[in-house]
Amino acid sequence: MTSNQFGLFGTDPWWLVLLKVLAIFVILVLLTLFTIWWERRVVSRMQNRIGPNRVGPQGLLQSLMDGIKLALKEEVIPRTAHLAVYWIAPVISATMAFLAFAVIPFGPTVSIFGVKTPLQLTDFPVSVLYVLAIASIGIYGIVLAGWSSGSPYPLLGGLRSSAQVISYEIAMGLSFVAVFLYAGSMSTSEIVAAQQPVWFAVILLPSFLIYVTSMVGETNRAPFDLPEAEGELVGGFHTEYSSLKFALFFLAEYINMVTVSALATTLFLGGWRAPWPLSVWASANSGWWPMLWWLVKVQLFIFFFIWLRGTLPRLRYDQFMKLGWKLLIPISIVWIVIVAGARTLRDQSATSSSRDTLFIAAGVILLAAVLSLVASSRADKRKTQADEARATVAEYQVDAGGFPVPPLPGQQAVLTSRRDSAVGTTIIQQRIDNQENADG
Amino acid sequence: MNPIMASAPALFTIRSVDYRAISPVLIILAVALVSVFVEAFVGRSARRPVQLVLVFGAFLATFIDLITLHATRLVTAAGSVAVDGPALVMQGAIILLAALAAMLMAERMVDPSGDPFAARASSLPGSVDEAEFSARGYFQTEVWPLLLFSVAGMMLFVSANDLLLMFVALEVMSLPIYLMAGMARRRRLLSQEASLKYFLLGAFASAFFLYGMALTFGFAGSVNLGSIADAVSAKPSQSGLLLLAVAMLSIGLLFKVAAVPFHQWTPDAYQGAPTAVTALMATTVKIAAFGALMRVLYVAFGGIRWDWTPMLWIVAILTMVVGSVIAVTQSDIKRMLAYSSVAQAGFILVGVIAVSGKGLASVLFYVIAYGFATIGAFAVVSVVRDASGEATHLSKWAGLGKKSPVTGAVLSLLMLSFAGIPLTSGFIGKFAVFSAAIANGATWLVIVAVIASVVSAFFYARVIVLMFFSEPTEATASVVVPSAFTTIVIAAGATVTVVVGIAPQPLLDLVNNAGLFLR
Amino acid sequence: MNVYTPILILGILAFGFAAFSVLTASLTGPKRYNRAKVDAYECGIDPTPQPEGGGRFPVKYYLTAMLFIVFDIEIVFLYPWAVAFDRLAFFGFCEMVVFIITVLVVYAYVWRRRGLEWD
Repeated sequence: MTSNQFGLFGTDPWWLVLLKVLAIFVILVLLTLFTIWWERRVVSRMQNRIGPNRVGPQGLLQSLMDGIKLALKEEVIPRTAHLAVYWIAPVISATMAFLAFAVIPFGPTVSIFGVKTPLQLTDFPVSVLYVLAIASIGIYGIVLAGWSSGSPYPLLGGLRSSAQVISYEIAMGLSFVAVFLYAGSMSTSEIVAAQQPVWFAVILLPSFLIYVTSMVGETNRAPFDLPEAEGELVGGFHTEYSSLKFALFFLAEYINMVTVSALATTLFLGGWRAPWPLSVWASANSGWWPMLWWLVKVQLFIFFFIWLRGTLPRLRYDQFMKLGWKLLIPISIVWIVIVAGARTLRDQSATSSSRDTLFIAAGVILLAAVLSLVASSRADKRKTQADEARATVAEYQVDAGGFPVPPLPGQQAVLTSRRDSAVGTTIIQQRIDNQENADG
Repeated sequence: MNPIMASAPALFTIRSVDYRAISPVLIILAVALVSVFVEAFVGRSARRPVQLVLVFGAFLATFIDLITLHATRLVTAAGSVAVDGPALVMQGAIILLAALAAMLMAERMVDPSGDPFAARASSLPGSVDEAEFSARGYFQTEVWPLLLFSVAGMMLFVSANDLLLMFVALEVMSLPIYLMAGMARRRRLLSQEASLKYFLLGAFASAFFLYGMALTFGFAGSVNLGSIADAVSAKPSQSGLLLLAVAMLSIGLLFKVAAVPFHQWTPDAYQGAPTAVTALMATTVKIAAFGALMRVLYVAFGGIRWDWTPMLWIVAILTMVVGSVIAVTQSDIKRMLAYSSVAQAGFILVGVIAVSGKGLASVLFYVIAYGFATIGAFAVVSVVRDASGEATHLSKWAGLGKKSPVTGAVLSLLMLSFAGIPLTSGFIGKFAVFSAAIANGATWLVIVAVIASVVSAFFYARVIVLMFFSEPTEATASVVVPSAFTTIVIAAGATVTVVVGIAPQPLLDLVNNAGLFLR
Repeated sequence: MNVYTPILILGILAFGFAAFSVLTASLTGPKRYNRAKVDAYECGIDPTPQPEGGGRFPVKYYLTAMLFIVFDIEIVFLYPWAVAFDRLAFFGFCEMVVFIITVLVVYAYVWRRRGLEWD
């Protein structure tokens, strides 16, 4: 890392800035179109299907055609919608999705038409904070979309989504702390430079794992795609959106996926730097080659997203929140203290007495964390047992409220003869009869 | 090379913090944290005793700590905390009065349903939940950590030598009180209304304070009171910005001392809040607020005192007159005490206006004497009850002195002290404040103050007359025999009032030896 | 050029693209009015009557939002500390450990009081 490189930010001539802006825009749109196709193909393979293969070679143009088709579809705006907000919500989502990419480094300094410039739109001392801020504004799009539709499913989806995103943003934010600690900076290019001998994913493995978990939660992707859980909420916040407005949400979701992948690459996988066997080749880290390494790393993450979706079932909402609040957050905090403590220990300035204090402090924190985990899991177990005990006492009714329902945990489904099981049907029949009587 | 991307030089210099000097605040904060931990991990039945031990233990330890620190005079933590005489005296008074208020909060004999606080503050008033929680005998022990946090905020507030720290302390002091004000067990809607009003107006006042802080920073380039004083004396020319800043900061602080026209929250908050919390608000918060007000005005803006004293004159006169006159028309004892506290704030402001060491000492004396009398008065109010709870309407006090002579006599004594009758602490306090003001040439202000105190004597005397010179009726409330907690509070209030009234010298020596604010 | 200006340009381009898409979609698509189509979507049954002014949300969400603020502020303090960690040295570490412990106490309280449960 040379101070020269940072000096180049903010010195680009205007045409180069325009070029970079346009390039980012095109890359993101193309990546989105590609990722949608890629996801559909991969998931299909995982499910023993073929997937889209008609439009273009291997079906590559499928997403483009879908987009054009969406533009030609009728726009249905519900009567209950709050129009101004309803219109602006997808715009907010999409705009913020693009904006977050401004500080992602694609490569080292190259020469474009004779001008030396880093392959990155811009960078400043707080650029990771900027990504977090922009991502938070993006949530407004989702919340406002859910609220302005004036319909219950989107409202619930929007609320869930915001609760989910803010819950996982904490774990995500905490996972960055160790990175900043090692890099001594929040600027993306400096963080990439700081991973020169070894990637942060290796030395800060827990941070990396926490980030990977929370990035899936943050982007509302399977197995954490509760805001759009089809079985419960139809389409979630975008239930009432159609045509290109819907397409914008779709676009935003995929761009966000690319963004968090790119951020993971930047913060943990050494950014555009070539991985080990390749880095032996001297010119692997200069010129335009690094963009390829960057793309491969990002695509690895995107494949990971797809893989998760093809493999894991969706979590229940309470399990999901429990994972975020009761596991990721305490582990992150303890991990930060351990990292900071280890680093302080390494410092020669730490005297032996201060070292003792350090150990005691770390011990107290660890003990507290472990105790609270144990206490809580015991309390949870007690509660579950009590619930089950209560549930067993409660009789299982096949026809609660007139509808046939499955047994709850702890309840026993009573095996009945065929005549008895017809009772449920009879009850529904009776209800319909009653309704007709009331109507008549 | 781009300057903002340059690797920065050492931006941080690590300042030393004299932990010993700020240990009283640290003790309270540490125990408050332990207290939260107790809330989390100790079983419901054991929580109350554990919390009581913690709270009173913390108060005792802090008080002893303050006594050992009594000779400390220093500014620490990068100039943001001043541990000086006035701060230590006020911290000691805050601890003592908070301990008395805590005793009122711990009282369980007075209310037939047990605690003075709601079973679950979060349950809707009148809901099924509320009934069930009450029936199960739940009570809210979160008031104890809240009390400790609030007291820590007050202690920091009086020794903050930095506007930023002062603001943080202001919020740490206020937020728990907003919450506690809404937690009464009876008349919950009234209590929640009090809490909300106090909170909204308090937030408004905080905004004023913040804005004043921003303007001050714009003028002086620092939020440290000493640096502001330097900037003020370096640029003696009139500055509208600076005057606006002083006005904004004063508004924020005058709100907390309940001076007219920033007193509107007082009657509702005093009436609706649980009486123990009202006692806390009326005594410790007032001390803390006057401490901070004087520190800001004396230390930071002492150089332009001729610019801000006229403003304080108007506020003081308004406060005394409005407080006294409106108190005359009140028919509820807690509202009357609220307006009385407004009027008293006016009298204390007379001492603040003196802007001298004598003025400072007289204000310290006044707030301490007033604090003990007030907490005693609220303790008496809390034991006068009828079937619906506390009987605060004055009609229910008719003939109370004949029914319960001791209670009546104690309250009469406290009322006489409020009115400033000789041989009570109130008289010495008023005398000290007025003589300090006259020594500084504020004779006309003192004349107004004397007239106002004559008016105020009328409504104080009215309570005495009502208690002793009218016959008890069917509606007259009765005095519940409290546990040792409230008894101690009433006794302490009465004793301090009499002893300081007859032999004021030790307390006068204490406040006179406290000296001036450090900077 | 300022380091922040490129962001503005990217923002204008992205906003322009999004706004353009939203606006053109209403021109390019067909319009066939149908009363049932513009009803709130609810699986074919009559929509649930909505209370005036949107009604009240479950308080759970507010709780989550408040907890988020608590931890977000913790993170806000942790970031500058982490960046300046080497310069703050041991003193900074101790102060931050004290800070983290205070937040953990609150966290333990909320946890024990079931503030983190979703039923």
